[in-house]
Amino acid sequence: MAGSKGREGEMLESIYSVLALVFILVACVELGDAATVVDVYRLIQYDLAGVPFGSRLASLNHHAGSLPFAPGADLSRTVVIIPFREVNITFLRDYIMQRQPLGGLLLLLPQNISSESREEAEEGDRNNGKELIRSELAELEKLLVHVNIPYPVYFAFEDDKITAVLADVKTNDATGQPATATTGGYKLVVSTPEPKKLASPTITNIQGWLPGLKADGDVNQLPTIAIVASYDTFGAAPALSVGSDSNGSGVVALLEIARLFSLLYSNPKTRGRYNLLFGLTSGGPYNYNGTFKWLQSFDQRLRESIDYAICLNSIGSWDDELWIHVSKPPENAYIKQVFESFSSVAEELGVKIGLKHKKINVSNPRVAWEHEQFSKSRVTAVTLSELSVAPELLESTGGLSDSRHFVNGIAVSRSVKLVAESLARHIYGHQGKNIQIFADGSSLAVNPFYIQSWLDLMSQTPRVAPFLPKNDPFILALKKELADHTAEVNVQHEALDGIFTFYDLTKASLNIYQVASVTFDLLLLLVLGSYLIILFSFLVITTRGLDDLISLFRRPPSRKVKMA
Amino acid sequence: MTVFHFFNCAILTFGPHAVYYSATPLSEYDTFGTSVKAAIVYLGTALVKLVCLATFLKVPENDSFDPYQELLKALIGFIDVAGLYFALTQLTHRNISQNHKFQAVGLGWAFADSVLHRLAPLWVGARGLEFTWEYILQGLEANANLVLTVSLAALGSLMWLRKNKPRTLVPIIYACAGILATMPSITSYLRRGLGWHFPKVVGFELFASLAMAFISWQLFSACQKPSA
Repeated sequence: MAGSKGREGEMLESIYSVLALVFILVACVELGDAATVVDVYRLIQYDLAGVPFGSRLASLNHHAGSLPFAPGADLSRTVVIIPFREVNITFLRDYIMQRQPLGGLLLLLPQNISSESREEAEEGDRNNGKELIRSELAELEKLLVHVNIPYPVYFAFEDDKITAVLADVKTNDATGQPATATTGGYKLVVSTPEPKKLASPTITNIQGWLPGLKADGDVNQLPTIAIVASYDTFGAAPALSVGSDSNGSGVVALLEIARLFSLLYSNPKTRGRYNLLFGLTSGGPYNYNGTFKWLQSFDQRLRESIDYAICLNSIGSWDDELWIHVSKPPENAYIKQVFESFSSVAEELGVKIGLKHKKINVSNPRVAWEHEQFSKSRVTAVTLSELSVAPELLESTGGLSDSRHFVNGIAVSRSVKLVAESLARHIYGHQGKNIQIFADGSSLAVNPFYIQSWLDLMSQTPRVAPFLPKNDPFILALKKELADHTAEVNVQHEALDGIFTFYDLTKASLNIYQVASVTFDLLLLLVLGSYLIILFSFLVITTRGLDDLISLFRRPPSRKVKMA
Repeated sequence: MTVFHFFNCAILTFGPHAVYYSATPLSEYDTFGTSVKAAIVYLGTALVKLVCLATFLKVPENDSFDPYQELLKALIGFIDVAGLYFALTQLTHRNISQNHKFQAVGLGWAFADSVLHRLAPLWVGARGLEFTWEYILQGLEANANLVLTVSLAALGSLMWLRKNKPRTLVPIIYACAGILATMPSITSYLRRGLGWHFPKVVGFELFASLAMAFISWQLFSACQKPSA
């Protein structure tokens, strides 16, 4: 008897646990039925020497609002959606600097910045418009990267869905007070965990070695010429920092130069008496940390054998003038020689070359140009760039404004030709002679399609070093491409040191829900309550009569009396 | 806030059943057991129906209205009537009057239907942040369904349980019962064949349910008179 009871109890218990499990499962049913889901890209979050910068939060769950908002309105629970066209930089800067509360910020970037339509701007008018957008984007990016914003900031591309939502929000805002929990409207939700620090980000340098031809009985080591480009980027939105110009153009030029010289070096007759060293370095935005690590890994003999190094940086959107930046005085014999070989080729190609000298300040940790790292380890080096002035830290590092749209494949081709031609004249000793080795139409001509396709690939690949894993397909692709053109490829993984700390979560999906207000639900409850009461009264009256209804509301004792 | 909305929709969907039970003499005569039995019969019927639908119907490729398939569906829909017949006549009920029996059966039937068809979507959907009118409309539909089911049960009890009814009314009773039994097909035709939107369909259902309830009530009282 007792046993059976115990068994019953056990069974009941197991039934209860099953029921509980079912309820838990039901309660966990994912509620993903948003009206709209949009890919959004988070503003970068980083610490510079322990000082926080960028957007410090990631998760978002607030109502949508739009510009212009009423003065004095409480926006601490509102996500303001601003299309890029309407961004007023000074207003935004003031708003952020005054540390006004805001639920979040969603910036809508124009679609055509991201699109890959590669029509070269025919009309000057449109070109002007493009330039304007570019400079405004650069300004916005500069603002956002250098402030500490205590709320989430996201970027999204304008599309039909989000434009419709924005139009709705705008009319809503125009008619009444901005949407809060009591007036309904749209709710923007990004559910992500708290952003975490990236533990010891790595940077990856790739080097390719193209050995020259040693004459018989020559015991001396051959001299080496290095061609270097840093490939990583930094920008306001790490997932959108493709850096087509800075420094995608340099990387593409390097690959094309490697391809051209691999053709020459494959034949013993045309193999030069110089080794060529190609270096794709990372950590460019962080004072060329990768270049520094790479140079440190050289042994003494190799470092001494380097004749000079040419660093390529932002050579994809110039019109007719390039700059050679040096840190040794222009009177230096090596510098003079390099500059002269470049300028003679430039003259033939009909472009201008300028020389800029900027001394290295040893006490300043800032390294503005890649060649400065070489100069610090006593290697002659120059940087070829379209930029006439040295960029500040985290400036011109391939952010939002640096898209495929603003890069011209022809400019890259001309840069390649300039560098390759002057290198070839140096290697084969044709200085001062007008011999075109890489003439158009010959088998050694610069291939514009190769450049185009690599530029396109660069412009689709965000390359912010801390978010680029060691074996990222992009790094593997670069390695493979370099391996195709050179004899020996080495990949070097190093820890990014310095004062930077990065946080993860660069990409998220934003759910946009259309929500009803609490007031509506309260009203609905009232209506339903009265409906049920009326129904109850009606049913009681029709089936039992009015007296019964009234008797229901009398005090219980009266019923007792009645029953008795 | 969204749980609040779920709560509202649940009140609209299931509240009327509770009110109906407590307001009418059903609660006084303790017909709860009858309702539960009817609900169990409904579950069995739904199972049989599902099996039939799965066996005889093709999966529609698009949302268009296919008359042959719909006819088949309507025929399978008559399994409901068979279920009701079983619930009304074959089950042993406690000694309650026919008058209350059909109400209790109809109530249990409609409640089981609501729970089976509407609770899960409500739980998943109405708790979400996204607001739609759909769940409120679904609640109204549940109300219409309750009225329709009780009407059908009333006509069923007239057909199967009452022996001496006026001869002239018999065809009318059968016709009305037929209309009630084919109501799901009619609404399906309105929605797919004529492309009506959900609010319009629900409006029609509400209107139709009130009209049918009125007719059934008239018929029921007309049959009641001679015996009284």
